Amino acid sequence: MKPREFWLLIGPSVLVMGGLLVLPLIRTIQWSLQNVHYGTPGTFVGLSNFTAALTDPRFGRAVLFTVIITVISVAILLVLGYLVATGVNMLTVSRPVVLGILLISYVLPQLVGAVAFSWLFDDNFGGVVNHVIAFFGGPKVLWFTDPVPNAILIIANTVWQMLPFAMLIILAGLQGVPAELREAARIDGASAIQTHWNIIIPTIRGVLGFVTLITIMDVLRIFDSLIPLSPQAQAIGNESIMLYVYSVAFANGAQQLGLGSAVNVLTILLILVMLTPFIRGIFKEAKVAR
Amino acid sequence: MVSSCSKGKVTVKHDPIDFGGQVTKTTATLSGDTGSYDIIETYGFVIPSLATDKKLVALDDLYAKYKDKYDLGSLSESMRKAMTYDGHLYAIPMQGQMFVMAYREDIFKKLNLPVPKTFDDMISAAKAITAAKLMDHPIALPWLATGDITTSFEATMNSLGQDFVTADGKVTLDTPQAKQALESMRALVPYMDPQVTTFDQPKVQQQLYNGTAAMAIMFSGRMNDLTLSTNSKLSKDFGFAAPPKATGDAKYLYDRTSIDGWSIPFNTKLNHDMLFSMMSAAVNERASKASVPAAYPAREGMVTTKNSPYGQAANDSIAGAMPPVVSPILADVTNAIQPILVQVLTGKLSVEDGMTQMQAAGEKIAG
Repeated sequence: MKPREFWLLIGPSVLVMGGLLVLPLIRTIQWSLQNVHYGTPGTFVGLSNFTAALTDPRFGRAVLFTVIITVISVAILLVLGYLVATGVNMLTVSRPVVLGILLISYVLPQLVGAVAFSWLFDDNFGGVVNHVIAFFGGPKVLWFTDPVPNAILIIANTVWQMLPFAMLIILAGLQGVPAELREAARIDGASAIQTHWNIIIPTIRGVLGFVTLITIMDVLRIFDSLIPLSPQAQAIGNESIMLYVYSVAFANGAQQLGLGSAVNVLTILLILVMLTPFIRGIFKEAKVAR
Repeated sequence: MVSSCSKGKVTVKHDPIDFGGQVTKTTATLSGDTGSYDIIETYGFVIPSLATDKKLVALDDLYAKYKDKYDLGSLSESMRKAMTYDGHLYAIPMQGQMFVMAYREDIFKKLNLPVPKTFDDMISAAKAITAAKLMDHPIALPWLATGDITTSFEATMNSLGQDFVTADGKVTLDTPQAKQALESMRALVPYMDPQVTTFDQPKVQQQLYNGTAAMAIMFSGRMNDLTLSTNSKLSKDFGFAAPPKATGDAKYLYDRTSIDGWSIPFNTKLNHDMLFSMMSAAVNERASKASVPAAYPAREGMVTTKNSPYGQAANDSIAGAMPPVVSPILADVTNAIQPILVQVLTGKLSVEDGMTQMQAAGEKIAG
């Protein structure tokens, strides 16, 4: 390919990425060093926004909560996604129908899905889950005000919403596993579990790494689903980092855009830290492939 | 509700939005030299701060010019006063929202209970209803931790004759009235759903629709929904009354009167006369009549017992409410104390510690 053709093809993407990604990132970093209100030029305050965020116990709680939710959700998503994908992979005629049904939660707007999901736990709207718990003699669970049940509710919604994505990608990976490998394992007398553990999972580890990478990034940015799922998130310590940003920078006329930007920069760093093992893995594989 | 309408060469675009989003968008549109909106809905609570920051066009001249043409003299004087700050009118009042109590008339009659006039009466009624095993949590109030909870605290303090700040900017969150207000609110907690701090007004309505609550106090704009048979099979069983007082010797009702109005933002590029004419048309007699009983329009004498099932309760509520305290720092103080108030009402913070923290947060804003 000639250089001219290369730039002609890649140019539009570079322009869009520059406008929608690089410029906002530069502005975010600039604002993180300023005291800035809507529509007013900011005044330089050095690292004080970062100091304010890092010394705010509320921000610390938000980071801890978000990381815990992320780690648990991603672990569940990988295991469940693999199991469901394996099940779907064994289907033949009914596969399109089952896939269509499984994808419903993924195509719903996150906020709409979360509102509907919250009704399962909300006595005002039927609260099916509490009825089931009561049927088995369990106590009434305060899903929206007790921190642990509320965290379970948020994780359950996250898994429900993102499972189709994880399943779909893993399914694509499973379909790429050569049939000869499975056949060889079967002839060697390997059990189903041994085949999955020693043959299939190592073969699709690249796909699993990709799923982990994307789900970590998505769950770390959890925001809109918390509006219906955790109406008093701040009071019970179940506030996500993005909800904290919204609260200090936008909600109820708040205008601490500098502090919000500083938290965004810190969040980008956190995402990079959490993704480091996977990014290193990708580099290693690329090196081996060369 | 319509998203847009046209007449001649003019098209009015109107995107319905929830209250939280409206507050955020209003703040954003008033922040630069160019805004997204040419008419904005404001309310009495924010007029002082917006006026102080010179974010709104003073309407005195336009009001005088068009007063007779649009019969603006028939707009409630007290509502116009609520839209005035420092001697200048900053909004044309459109409607009022006041606290109204909705209660299950059938249950109150069955148990021979009087309509509550105080918080203690509410508690007595709640005890009788739970004793009769009709409900577990008869009282429902919108105490959403990120929303109405501060409005309820303010209403309780107003009942006792105080607000969060005085007109001259002194914070009053460490006063005996503040303590009594917090204790009065906490006394209601055992009779409400344990997750009450997650309930906004629609969820309180839902409790009434479902028959899981027998008494609720909300802004009047929510009352008409209760009378619609399409919303609940209990629609004929609701009675309406003015809200109670926090205590027997309180001077005012547990009440908030919020006046909504139309304002012209300082950064609009459109002709002010045209915008003022549109705003005036929106509050004319025909439009005001058409809005009853869903709303309480700003024109005098529009709402009566004949045209609104909660008309008498709304009129009684206005008559018994404390006159509003006008202060540009009230909105900021209200935002600052919200998380502390939640901790107090959920029992995670003592009343005394909560008062100390709220006073400190308020004084930080007052300077």
